[in-house]
Order: sequence, then structure tokens, then C-alpha cells
Amino acid sequence: MIGQHLQFRGLFLKYFLVLFLAVVIPLAANGLSEAWFGYRDQRTRLEQLLGVEARSAGAKIQGFLDGITNQLGWLVQLPWTGEPDERRQIDALRLLRQVPAVASLTLLDGNGRERLYVSRIGLNRTESRMDRSAEVAVAGARMNRLWYGKVGYYRDSEPYMTIALTGNRPSVGVVVAEVNLKLIWDVVAAIKIGRTGHAFVLDGPGRLVAHPDINLVLRGADEATLAPFQRIREEIRRAPADVATGRDAGGIAVAAAATPVAGPDWTVVVEQPLSEAFGPIYAALWRTFGLLLAGGAFACLLAFILARRMTEPIRLLEDGTERIGAGQFGHRIEIRTGDELERLADSFNAMAAELAVSQERQERIAKLKRFLAPQVAELVDRTGDDDVLEGRRTEVVAVFCDLRGFTPFSARAAPEEVMSVLSEYYDALGRIITRYEATLTSFSGDGLMVLVNAPVPVAEPALQAVDMAVEMQLSVQTLIAGWRRRGYRIGFGVGLALGPATVGRIGYESRFDYTAIGSVVNLAARLCASAADREILADGAVARAVDGKRAVNPMGMRPIKGYDEELLVYRVAFADQPDAA
Amino acid sequence: MRRRDVLAWLGGAAACALPARAQSQAMPVIGYLGLESPGPFDSRLKAFREGLAEAGYVEGRNVAIEYRWAEGRYDRLPALAADLAGRKVAVLVASGGAPAALAAKAATKTITIVFEMGGDPVALGVVDSLSRPGGNLTGVSSLSVEVSRKRLEFMHELRPSASSFAVAVNPTSPTSGSQLRNLQMAAEALGVRLHVMNASKEEEFEAMFSSATREQAGGLVFTSDPYFAFRSTQLADLCLRYSMPAVTQSRDFPTAGGLMSYGGDFMQSHRRTGNCAGRVLSGEKPADLPVQLVTKVELVVNLKTARALSIDVSPSLISGADTVIE
Repeated sequence: MIGQHLQFRGLFLKYFLVLFLAVVIPLAANGLSEAWFGYRDQRTRLEQLLGVEARSAGAKIQGFLDGITNQLGWLVQLPWTGEPDERRQIDALRLLRQVPAVASLTLLDGNGRERLYVSRIGLNRTESRMDRSAEVAVAGARMNRLWYGKVGYYRDSEPYMTIALTGNRPSVGVVVAEVNLKLIWDVVAAIKIGRTGHAFVLDGPGRLVAHPDINLVLRGADEATLAPFQRIREEIRRAPADVATGRDAGGIAVAAAATPVAGPDWTVVVEQPLSEAFGPIYAALWRTFGLLLAGGAFACLLAFILARRMTEPIRLLEDGTERIGAGQFGHRIEIRTGDELERLADSFNAMAAELAVSQERQERIAKLKRFLAPQVAELVDRTGDDDVLEGRRTEVVAVFCDLRGFTPFSARAAPEEVMSVLSEYYDALGRIITRYEATLTSFSGDGLMVLVNAPVPVAEPALQAVDMAVEMQLSVQTLIAGWRRRGYRIGFGVGLALGPATVGRIGYESRFDYTAIGSVVNLAARLCASAADREILADGAVARAVDGKRAVNPMGMRPIKGYDEELLVYRVAFADQPDAA
Repeated sequence: MRRRDVLAWLGGAAACALPARAQSQAMPVIGYLGLESPGPFDSRLKAFREGLAEAGYVEGRNVAIEYRWAEGRYDRLPALAADLAGRKVAVLVASGGAPAALAAKAATKTITIVFEMGGDPVALGVVDSLSRPGGNLTGVSSLSVEVSRKRLEFMHELRPSASSFAVAVNPTSPTSGSQLRNLQMAAEALGVRLHVMNASKEEEFEAMFSSATREQAGGLVFTSDPYFAFRSTQLADLCLRYSMPAVTQSRDFPTAGGLMSYGGDFMQSHRRTGNCAGRVLSGEKPADLPVQLVTKVELVVNLKTARALSIDVSPSLISGADTVIE
């Protein structure tokens, strides 16, 4: 029972798993591939986007410097004369007002002598004519026309840079400007990468020139502050793509791209927190995960219902067969699935109905077997009905036999001995009756009646009856020999007659007997009564029927009870070997 | 998950049920120490609140401000600063000049002080360095003190024929000595003489102007000092009355009818002070916030006053001016 339940559970689990996986695996595969390709697409898009943002930020920073150099360009248009240049002084002052990043301006003539110095903080100088041609800024500008100095920190805090510019000929002189790089803040703070991303600018040695958080810039050349920025730049340099990932000063994972600013050898780095850069893909991943969960739950439910629908009929079938097997043939398996399972259930139901019919017959036959020879019972069984037992008139051989001197014996002997004798006696006769396919219709005490040719017809009833009687005599005589040795004085006689009789079943519902009614029965009984020990008496009809086949000797006319005239009685001869035993 | 939601909801409901007074108690408090009275500070406070808003704080909504005004009497500053420090304010803003910053520094070693001044905070001993202020102070310097000599230069440019100029000094100012040295050097470079006049009270202003007129000074150059800066209207009146061209640090002066001003943009310095105070409220350490220098130094010229004083303003000066009042 438990094992069967386990099997049932196993089947349910198998169906469930197969159905569940059939839905979930494609769903998961789809979700995962979508997530993977989505991630790659997003990554590519991010790289492109950050690259563009970096170039755009670089252009803005370059624009800041170009704005200054363009303004400076106006101061180196015309050659210097020996006289003070009032006009150029106004231009310089106007430039100071125009470009807030310029802290001071120095104008040198073609010989490298200082002609004008204007400052926001210090005192202005005019025509000091100091020779400054040896200065690196002046030499740089003369060589490259535009020269950017290194970034320095005013009072270790504010980033400054010197820009020197000359015109298209030496006589226009050189302009040297001190630029307060803090002003790039306006530019760099305006650069937004996505929602929270930003840009910053490093100079060649990796010092911070500009950052949206001006405080970081104002810390000057502070190694601890600069290290994370330099690390990110290094990672971008090493990265195979334009974009690298790393951690910013706050320890947040960022994606970063860089672009150089050619003139001053700066690097503009743009960075965006990965959480934001990959925000869409994270959202998509969560969405996919949610869908997977929902799909999984749905698949689970679906698989459960389907597996249940598949295993439930099987369980019903199993249960049904179990009940039918236990003998409940009235049980019917109710399956309305409209498929093979329903057909199977219908077959089971039909089988159960047939089994019920069959069992009923079996029971009936079992009853018949009590008085029918097994062969007869088989016949009834085979033909499937007991019509053969119906009443009819037919030619039968009635055989009667009983023991001689049994009544006095039974009065004397102990009941155990009586029963033992009877048991041996019936045992011997029963086997013979069975062998000869005769029908034992009744027995009482030591006498019994046997029919031949009813209900099952035989080829030669008389012959068969005679042979059976002979064997009975022989068999019982052997027993009698044994009994005599024990001191029981018992004999055995047989009588048989052939003739028409009414045969059939008589009795009431639970107690049926098969019997024959007719004069032949009476005759056989009388013959048996008149037969002595070791004698088989037959009537004329039997004698005629076996004439020439068996030795039957007439014994002369004898009066028979119930008959008006005397009848010729025959004695069946048989190899009597009483003394042989 | 559900239980947490429920708790959050309950918490929210409880927070809503609390009286409004409890909310204002939870708000951080800024102690604001001002050198003067709210009137002259009005424009500066506006800039300060703008800066505070940049950092995400709005007065009355998520921050409260306790004001203490010295009304020009610097001797009251230590008591006011001690009072604010005693109230355990979240951040102490010392605004207007070095005296406020120094008073605040003396009052507390634990509460973060954000100062706004015109002088050099390193030279004044307020902080150790600009990039790494150290201690519990940081703030903004507007460069006004450093550009005193430029005022003399502009005055000299305006009156090139004058051989001497008067210099107004507040002897109580901690920067007066350095400014005076600075001015003396500039005067030597320009080849002019200086008449130094002291004034630390309003009553001494008139005497200063009459003395400058008596000395036939070409003009009156005011050193950078908050006491002068916040009394621009009186000084402008005296200027016109004595027909004495003068230059101060504050644009309030030419706006009020004075001739000229040159100094750091106080709008910028006060806005940055507000921003800095906001960042301190957000949890940043003063040591991580370098002292900021104001980038903008502005020249304002009032041509109307120049005409009234019969002064020709040179084109180079006009072209270099940030604002010209006509």
C-alpha cells in the first residue's frame, strides 16, 4: 500500500517536474540570454556615451583655455613702438575685466622687455623695461607661439597656470598671463554625466586642476586626495576599451572615460557611478527576474494542475483495480477525461462486470460440483450455463449399490470404526464414479445411487455402467477383505438397470440435487436389494446392450418387488479374486 | 518585508502626529555672529541664504538660524560668541570680518566655525593654512585687505597731480598694521606721501575728513575694515560735503554716492560662506574644507559723483571698472 502510494507520488513528481521544467527552462534561457545581451548592449552604449561625454567635456575645458588665449591674442596684434602704449593698457585692463580667470597680465615687447604689467591684486607697472626674455614662458611662447606653464598652487591652495602667447611676428611681443584655474570650476561643475556623473581635470603629473567639488582642488598637491583620481586615470590608460571601471574618491564603483587636452597636457576624465550607468540594465534584470518568478509560479501551478489531472485518473484506476482485485466487482471507476484513460477505465469496468458474472457462475458450478462428476461440472462450466441440468426424459443407467450386513455392524461397532469403514468405502467408490463420468445423485448410509448418461450423455451407457459396477465390486471386495481380517462381517452388492427416466434438478434455492425418476430407478434399487455379496445384478435391457461385449449370465426369472410378473435377471460376471487377497 | 512596511507606516504616522514644535527642535541650528545690525547686513544675509540653499538648507524649513548682532561694538563680540557657543549650535558662522572670527575662535574649540572676512586668515592666526585649515575653523576670505594698495593706485590714477593722499585706518582692526605697511610700500612705488588718519568711531569720521581737507590730500583712501565698509552711507555723505574724493572696499559706498570702491565681491564671499556652513551641517569636517579665496575683486566707479567733484575719470579706469554708475 505504502509502496503503491510512493509510486503514485513518484509519477506525480515526474509529471510535475517535466511540465514545470518544460516551461521554466525556456523561460529562464530566454530571460538569461536577454539579460546577457542587454548587459552587453548597455555596456557598449555606455562606452560610446562616456566616450562622447569625455570628448565633449574635453572640448569644454579646451574652450575655456581657448577663450583666454583668444582674448590674449588681441594684445599681440601690433608691434611695439618706443612710446608707452596707452591703447594697449586700456585693452589689458578691459581684458582683466572681461576674463575673470586672468589674475595678472605682463606685456613684453619684441626684445623681451616688460612694457606693461596689470594685476587685480598688485600694483600695475608701466614701462619698467625689465629684461624678461630669459624667462621660460617667454622662450616657450617664442618657440611655439602658445605656451602653457605647469600648474602651480598659490599658497598651496589655489591652482594657477601661466599662459604665454606671441603674435605672428616677434615685434608684436609676448603676453604672459597668470590664470586662476579655480575659474574652470564654472565649466567643470556644469558638466553632468547622466544624473550624478561628473568630470574632473588632471594635469600631466596627476594633480587636480578642476573638480566640481572645489574643496578637493583647493587642497593643493595633497597625495591622499589625489591618489584616487590618478588611479582612475591609470586604469583608463590600461583599459583595452576607452572605458574603465574603478572606484572614485568616495569608494563608489564608477565607469570612467578620458580625453586629453592637447595644449597644457591635461586629461579630462568623466565618470559615472556604475549603479546609474547600469541602472537601466539593473532595472531590466530585476524585471526579468520578476517575470521569471511569476512565470515559475505560473508554471508551477500549471504543472501541478496538469500533473494532477494526469495522475488522478491513474490513481482512480489503481484504486479501482485494487477494489476489484479484493472482490468488489460492483465497484465502477469513474473517469470522464475523454481520452485513453477513460477507455481504459471503461475496459476495467467491463472486466469487473464480466468478473462478477463469472464469479456468480463459479459459485453455481461449485454448488453443482457436489453432485456432478468433475467432468460434468467442467462441462457445465465450459458451456457457461446449467441447461444440461434442466428436467428432461432420457435413457439412463441407474446403478445402486450398498453394503451387506452393515446395519448389524454399525449397531455393534464403535462410531469411529463405522465412520472409518464408511470413509474408506466412499473414498473408493467416489474415485471410480468420477473416472466413469457417472453422476452421484444421492447417498444415504451405506447405499448410493449413480446415474450414467445423465446429465452428460456417454457413447455406451450400459457398457460403461457395467464396467463401473465391476470395478466397484473389485475395489470394495478388496476393502472387504481388509475388514474381514478386522472381524467385520460385511458384504457388497450392486444392481443396475437401463431405461428411460425423467432426470433433472430438484430442490430449493440453496439445496439442489440432481436425480432421476422412473421405473428404471426402482428396478435398479430392487436389483441391488436382491443382489448378494459379490454380486452384480442387471436387468434385461442392460444385458442386451452389453451382449457380446461383457459376460452377462442369465440367472432365471425372479420376482421383483413392485412388478407383477417375474423378471429375467442377469448376473454380471467378473474376475472374482476374493481369495487372492 | 510586510512587517517592516507596517513599522515604517506606523513611524510615519507617529512623526505626523508629533507637534510642529518637536520638528523645529530636531532642526540643526546655525549660530550667526554678525559685526553690525541686520540692516546693513541685509544683502549679505540674502547671499548667505542662497549659499545655504545650494547645500540644501532653507531657513525655517530644515535649519534654524540664531542671530547675534554686535551693532558695530566689537567689544561685545566675545560675549555674543560665548552665548552662541553655550547654546551648542551645530555650526557657528562668524561673518563680516576678522574680529568676529577671532571672537568665535576664542569662544569654542569644538563647534565648527565658518568665517567670512576680508583679511588673510593665515596671517591673522585664524587658521594654519589655506589648503588644510586644521582645527575647527574654515571659511572664506574676500581678499579686500590685500588690495588696499590697489585703492591707492586707483586714487593716484584719478588724481595724478596730487602728491599726497590721506589714508583712513581703524586702529582697532587686527589688519591695520599690515595694511598700512602695504600702503606705505605702494606709496613709495607711486612716489606719493601718505597722511594716516585714525578713526574707530563714527564720531571721528568728520574730523578725519576735515583733517584730510586741511592737509590738501588728493584723496582719501580707506583701508579695508568692516567698520568703514558698513558705514558707507555716512562716509559717502561726508565725501560729498567735504568734496573729498574717496575710495573704500565696499560697493555700497559708490552706490550711496561715494566716488569709487575696490574690493572683494561680498556677495560671492557670503554665498560661499553659506554653502560652506551647509556642507558642515551635512557632516563634512572643517579640516577637509580648504579656506576659499574670493576670485572676484570688483571696481565700481560713480561718474555722477566724479562730475560733482569735477574729477576726470581716465578711459583706462572706466574700461577696467566692473560697474560704472552714471
